[in-house]
Amino acid sequence: MTIGTELARAVGDANVAPIAGEPAAWQVAPAAPAEIAEVVRLAQRHKIAVVPLGTGIRPSADRGPRVQIAMRRMDHVIHLDETSLLVHVQAGLTGMGLEKILVPRGLSIGDYPPAVLVSTLGGILAVRTPGKSSVRHGFFEDAVVGVSAVLGDGRTVHTRVAPRRSTGPDLARALCGSEGTIGVITGAVLRIHRKPEARFAIASILPSIDAAVSAVYLALREEAALAGVRIYDAAEARIHFANATPPLPAMSEGEALVVASTAGPTDLAACDRDLVASAVAAEGGRTADTRLAELWWRRIHAGEPTPVAGPTLQVTATPGKVRAVYRAVCTATAGSGGARAHVSRFDADGAVVFFTLAGGEAARATAETAAREAGGYLLGARATALDPYLIGLRAALDPHGIMNPNALRD
Amino acid sequence: MSSREISSETVRRELEAIVGPRRVSVRDADLDTYARDMWPRLLLAHREGAPAGHRPHAVVWPESAREVASIVKVARGLRLPIVPYGGGSGVCGGAVPILGGITIDTKRMTALRGVSADELIVDVDGGLNGERFERELARRGYTFGNFPSSIYCSTVGGWLATRAAGQLSTKYGKVEDRVAGLTVVTGRGEVIETDGPSRALRGPNWTQLVLGSEGTLGVITSARLRVSPAPQMQIYRGFEVENVAAGVEAIRRVLQRGLRPAVVRLYDELDTMMNSMGGHHPDHDLQADAHAPVPTPGEGALPILPHPAPPPEDGVVGRLLALARGGRAIHRELLGAALDRANVVNRVFGAVAEKVARRGCRMIIGLEGARLRTEVEAALCFQELAAAGAHDQGEEPGRAWIAHRYAVSYRMSPMFRDGAFVDTMEVASSWERLMDLYHSVRTAIGQHAVVMAHFSHAYPDGCSIYFSFAGRGKDRAEAERVYDAIWRDGLDATTRVGGTISHHHGVGLLKAGHMEGEHREAMAILAGLKASLDPDNIMNPGKLGIGGGPVGRAR
Repeated sequence: MTIGTELARAVGDANVAPIAGEPAAWQVAPAAPAEIAEVVRLAQRHKIAVVPLGTGIRPSADRGPRVQIAMRRMDHVIHLDETSLLVHVQAGLTGMGLEKILVPRGLSIGDYPPAVLVSTLGGILAVRTPGKSSVRHGFFEDAVVGVSAVLGDGRTVHTRVAPRRSTGPDLARALCGSEGTIGVITGAVLRIHRKPEARFAIASILPSIDAAVSAVYLALREEAALAGVRIYDAAEARIHFANATPPLPAMSEGEALVVASTAGPTDLAACDRDLVASAVAAEGGRTADTRLAELWWRRIHAGEPTPVAGPTLQVTATPGKVRAVYRAVCTATAGSGGARAHVSRFDADGAVVFFTLAGGEAARATAETAAREAGGYLLGARATALDPYLIGLRAALDPHGIMNPNALRD
Repeated sequence: MSSREISSETVRRELEAIVGPRRVSVRDADLDTYARDMWPRLLLAHREGAPAGHRPHAVVWPESAREVASIVKVARGLRLPIVPYGGGSGVCGGAVPILGGITIDTKRMTALRGVSADELIVDVDGGLNGERFERELARRGYTFGNFPSSIYCSTVGGWLATRAAGQLSTKYGKVEDRVAGLTVVTGRGEVIETDGPSRALRGPNWTQLVLGSEGTLGVITSARLRVSPAPQMQIYRGFEVENVAAGVEAIRRVLQRGLRPAVVRLYDELDTMMNSMGGHHPDHDLQADAHAPVPTPGEGALPILPHPAPPPEDGVVGRLLALARGGRAIHRELLGAALDRANVVNRVFGAVAEKVARRGCRMIIGLEGARLRTEVEAALCFQELAAAGAHDQGEEPGRAWIAHRYAVSYRMSPMFRDGAFVDTMEVASSWERLMDLYHSVRTAIGQHAVVMAHFSHAYPDGCSIYFSFAGRGKDRAEAERVYDAIWRDGLDATTRVGGTISHHHGVGLLKAGHMEGEHREAMAILAGLKASLDPDNIMNPGKLGIGGGPVGRAR
């Protein structure tokens, strides 16, 4: 029996297809964890790789004998627990797909960037990128209460659901961020939220980026629970709000625009907005038209188009390093046309600085070096010092080395 | 492992080569001391003067991660177990050296390397005592926010190794929610750091894979922890609700509205009655409560532990025990009730509790934090509770709780007489399963012991339940049988309704046999971590139900 036939037996004829132009590569679309387990066992017998595939937005560089596991048929909500605000979903459902199910019930996955939620939930959890965060809810992984997966030996695991526990390490975290090397994530139990009772927005102009960063952290320290916050430098603000209604007020070089949004019970959301206002005042800022902040929020969360191409460089920095990273990249690229930036995706870990380099790709290497030297983390960074332990864990759970073997080895 | 054949003398020589002669001990007094922690089951034997069942070969007090690494390498060479030991306050036997070996006392590693004001992160050594840690932070204007009742006798490293929780966890989180990075000496004898913004680094989050490992993967020697600005104000209040279910519903509404009190506690009928009869309520009881820490003016949130005094029997636990012995402190109609007829007692109790605590169940809610926001949030919390049918009892019950909140745990040891014992079981589940969990576990324990419960540590998605129980056997052997039966039945009931067997005390030896039921197939991941971080299988054998050793399900 050929591998193709065996795969067909596992997932059904209609759900297997050879990958064009390759002699030993198939895509399967299983409908249940048991089918994935069967595929994994089969791959183990034939010593071919197992590579999970979400929406396929990220192009795969994989070549060689392999089974690609497309998650598209596993897109069901298994259980919606409105009492505990938990949802058990299959990993092939996208964040947006889940949101469409939740919103009519007055629920929401939370204020995560929709750009993140276009991916499948399995993909969001399996691959770490710095944008998957919200000021109010934290890093997306913090919403995970349990994970289901098929390990390299075909064993199906479900980490059990509890709000918190003291029963050893958080085993779900071995699967999150592991890019399919520990197991294929087949489902997850996620914390969800009620739709907030009220939302407020606020826009302000601060005398400098430093003052803007200070104002944001001052508000967070006064415990303002923000739904979102973003800082634009003057150049970035002018481009993002060109022809905006209302128009962006005149900003001098060095000034910064801060937009923020709050959400929650009305009194508390209003309180949080006022905390931002007083933090801005304390840092020498002035208020701007609230509608600028509303426009920013609609662009991110309501699909209103942003008239600007995406940023060219993302750098994550811890709270104390945001200013230094910004300054370092601007200074380093000054000779090649400079850089403009906005700072967004704040959480306890820090924030992400999104640079657009005037010098384009030619300026990238200089900018990246400057960012790293200032203590920033580039997109795709990895703590390689712990690789021996990851290799040990992989070897224990995947002795044949078939689970997405090329991932996390760069 | 042939650890029994290695003499303490051999171990001492090897360790002296690393730390010198003054920080190693093989003296009997030390080996006896490090033979146990505060696991109540061991106290039963200890109370009788029975010799320690398991002693380490040697105890060593390293002062740096580098020394710890050298010690682990020595242990690897000798194929001897390593048992990390912090304050020894654990209640699950997590520090018991069941195969002997080297016990590493971390308490000489106490540096606090300052708070980074920008990052709101403190770099602190694992051996630092909890009380000293909070005091140092308070002097600098911060708090870590972890206030377990063991704070006077537990260490930061012990908190991290067990995923501990403090009384204000609803605001500040459990310790695992507050960790930016760990320095760990792994079972390979290497020093690793898990720092870095987790979301920016690809690969699994090693911090979360080491937290809670109870010494089975490595020794946590220092940590970068998130701190908060010290609270500017505190608001505490008592409420009464009709019954447990109504109280649970009220708490759920508060949490799911996005409100974060520092603490919410709901006492079931019996626990409420115990409270109203003794310790917590009237102010004049403060003086009588000499055995437990109470605040004096100017000491803030952390009262200084007073000198030991003769154990009074007027507190909650005292009353529970008095009841167990048929003592004087309790209502006349219960005098004859004894713990070996606990199911009857529980039923009688229910009836009496209803009469005595006519107003239902007591609830304590407290908020703290920045001035403006805390006031707004408190008003919303109180509104929400009122809307859920809870009756405001004013500030007094809240203040009384604050005054006595560390008291109970320091009164447990006098109870271990005449084959009697007390212990606590902290389980948790989602809100959907919580009442099921409450009834199932209460019934399971109630067959063997007098049991009461309170609900604390609430989250938007669920809550923990803290059962206190008192039992007795006519001799130690019978007491141990009853004790084991309580845990077996209580934890089985927990697993059956989909709860977790531990919210914050950890697993140790006590719950090791229930780990398979807790994690099932996912134990493979734990075994994988063990194989990777501790390839020679020397780190704290028998704990967490992995790593070999004579692990028995509590029986």
